[in-house]
Amino acid sequence: MRTKKGFCFAIIVALFLSLVTTLNAANPDFDYYKGKTITYIVATKPGGGYDVYGRLISKYLQKYIPGSLVIVKNVAGAGHIIGANETYMAKPDGRTIGTYNTGLIYAQLVGLQGIRFDLAKYRYIGKANSEHRVLLVSINSPYKSIKDLIESKEPIKMASSGVGTAAYNETIIVAAGLGANLKPIPGYSGREGEMGMMRGEVTGTIGSYAGLIGFIKAKECRILLQIANRKHKDMPDVPLAKELNLSDKGRKFMAIVAGNGDLGRLTAAPPNTQPGRLEALREAYKKALNDPALLKDAEKMMVDIDPAFGDEVEEMMKEVMHQPEENVTMLRSVIKVEQ
Amino acid sequence: MFEALIHGLYLALSWKAFSLMMLTIPIGLTLGILPGVGGKVGLAILIPFCYGMPPEVGFAFLLGMHAVVHTGSPIPAILFNTPDGPAAATCVDGYPMAQKGEAGRAMGAALAASGVGGVVGAICMALTIPVVKPVVLAFGPPEFFTMTLVGLTFVAVMASESLIKGLMAGGMGMIISFVGMDPQTGVVRFAFNQLYLFDGINIVNVVIGIFAIAEVIDLGIQEAGAIAHTRPEDVKGAGVWQGIKDTFIHWKLTVRASVIGSIIGMVPGLGGDAASWICYGHAVQSSKTPERFGKGAVEGVLAPEAANNSKEGGGLIPTLAFGIPAGSGMAVLLGAFMVLGLVPGQEMLTKHLDVVFSMVWVLAFANVIGVLISLAFVGQLAKISFIKTSIIIPLILSFALLGSYLATSNFGDIFVTLAMGGVGYGMKAFKFPRGSFVLGMVLGKLSENYLHLSMNLYGTKFLLRPITLLLIAIVITSIVYQIIRKRKMVTR
Repeated sequence: MRTKKGFCFAIIVALFLSLVTTLNAANPDFDYYKGKTITYIVATKPGGGYDVYGRLISKYLQKYIPGSLVIVKNVAGAGHIIGANETYMAKPDGRTIGTYNTGLIYAQLVGLQGIRFDLAKYRYIGKANSEHRVLLVSINSPYKSIKDLIESKEPIKMASSGVGTAAYNETIIVAAGLGANLKPIPGYSGREGEMGMMRGEVTGTIGSYAGLIGFIKAKECRILLQIANRKHKDMPDVPLAKELNLSDKGRKFMAIVAGNGDLGRLTAAPPNTQPGRLEALREAYKKALNDPALLKDAEKMMVDIDPAFGDEVEEMMKEVMHQPEENVTMLRSVIKVEQ
Repeated sequence: MFEALIHGLYLALSWKAFSLMMLTIPIGLTLGILPGVGGKVGLAILIPFCYGMPPEVGFAFLLGMHAVVHTGSPIPAILFNTPDGPAAATCVDGYPMAQKGEAGRAMGAALAASGVGGVVGAICMALTIPVVKPVVLAFGPPEFFTMTLVGLTFVAVMASESLIKGLMAGGMGMIISFVGMDPQTGVVRFAFNQLYLFDGINIVNVVIGIFAIAEVIDLGIQEAGAIAHTRPEDVKGAGVWQGIKDTFIHWKLTVRASVIGSIIGMVPGLGGDAASWICYGHAVQSSKTPERFGKGAVEGVLAPEAANNSKEGGGLIPTLAFGIPAGSGMAVLLGAFMVLGLVPGQEMLTKHLDVVFSMVWVLAFANVIGVLISLAFVGQLAKISFIKTSIIIPLILSFALLGSYLATSNFGDIFVTLAMGGVGYGMKAFKFPRGSFVLGMVLGKLSENYLHLSMNLYGTKFLLRPITLLLIAIVITSIVYQIIRKRKMVTR
């Protein structure tokens, strides 16, 4: 009698425990993907940075999801908005993922027309790199340090892409944050800004370190500031934004820009993606980004890898998106966009 | 530098490099023939195969394809009035030549001009390498703006029937170019709340619609027949060989167009479409009998085709010297260079000069070989213009719509193309010059952006820069010249 009771009790406990564990941990559902195609949406035309990362990651994602085929689909337009929309509205069956510019944060914060996504609601698989933002000036300019720049009475012309783009917004936010007299000159696309600096028609620009690497390595410029949460290994002597003596408002602005930089090259899945499949994608992504073969390919293609995974990325994104009301108002006042 | 030239030749002729080049040339020709596909897709497909190749082999592989994309592109423009972006200028006179039964001649001329253009472009590239930095840096937004003005004067040049109609067409073209987000204010213009229109209307769709679709409508309305209005036996001097001879008869124009194309290609800022239209306009303006243009003048095929190929050689210069791609095709090529481990910039032009010269040689060889291959089968293709319209129309329609969809892979493309087809048909019926419309569209937004940039950077003083002043002088001279010529023609 006693053994039977004990036996029943043990079974009940075992059943209870297994139930609890299955409910809490989503088991990665690799079986689902056998023989299936995963579409990786890249919100740009083929050939750019996002495309390179997308194709690199898709190659290794496929390796770690046996039986699957991962193809890149380029969905360009409206400054990554169309691609981000398509990713957001895809069926959450784990067969669509996407990558887009983190700068859409500004677009969403100011409520830009046409946005159908909420960056905080995507299920994030991971991010591949930290985009260090730098402020640099032409080697021929008279400004030798960030202090010189801030103290200048003359307006300083900064090359920027069109009004409303992430790069333009960041130029304005950084100018407001530093309290410097920076005048963005919009209308430079691609690398024309660098040519403008060489011609002497603009003094500097604010952009990503990786994007400007050619210019930097050619020693055509001087980096005055890095806007990130920790120093880049190649720039030990360039001051970080948070080391400067700025106003409270200024610090907040710089923190927003630095935070966005950390979330570079995101890979996201639509909201409510099936948990088991999301887990499979996350596990495969983690293995892919730690694969020495991928790191070697990345080095050949001259792209940096500084990954973060799954929940950590979701936390970072939520923190950036859930700005206190006063910050949003501050941002809106600075990035005045007509609707 | 001379050793680099020779060593470059040696690299280009190496067994591996040469054979890979021969492999990719047919791919480039095929991609060029399919409207809307173009070189960028080809590059995107071929780049992954480059991992691990030594640079000079990789370049031969990629450039072999890239150099000949524009060699094949006049074929659908001449046969079906279905161009890809830059080849549109070839339609204006190339298709009427096909209608006269001279498709073979047109294609022969286009191919030979492409070959000459490609070689001249390679030569220009080689010659400018030592002076590239000061030359490219001398051109800034004020110079780009005045260059667009020079281009815009050709809007009037192409209006052979009525100046007013030409200006109206050009103006409409400019308005279409303004659709989309304005980089100066962040305001989205004329998009009617459609996300698809945020980036503006794609030139490929406009060009396919306004030429190909309009033509399909016309062919459908006319009595059963073929594209050519004559019988093949009746046309003398219509063959491919005649076309090749034409290129050398008008050699001065061909070379001039090649050089102009090279210069425009070299200056990152105008884009590829502008080169062929500006050279077309130049051909019209420099001819003693401009009224022949638009009706099948062979010079109207020679000039844009030469420019189309020479601009690629020109475009490689800023791409290699500064890492600044002159156009989106170059941007993809730049990515490929990075994959192959070569960083554009001063290093390229000093330590790796032989690789740069090997590219020059590859460009030259690929162009010539591409032309020779095409000439072999183009005579047969010319017979297409004698096929019945009932067979041809569905073919052209599917070809054209496929090409336009490939532009941005968005169904909006099909609507735009069909709408522009209607517009194109209307323009044809009421004798509005379609060339002026396209030129207005190509240059409209560009000129606006550069004007704003120039004002933001320099205020009105931008007009006083030396090269700017020279270009303004060219604009004024061009306008005055045209007015005088029109007066002379009226009194004749």
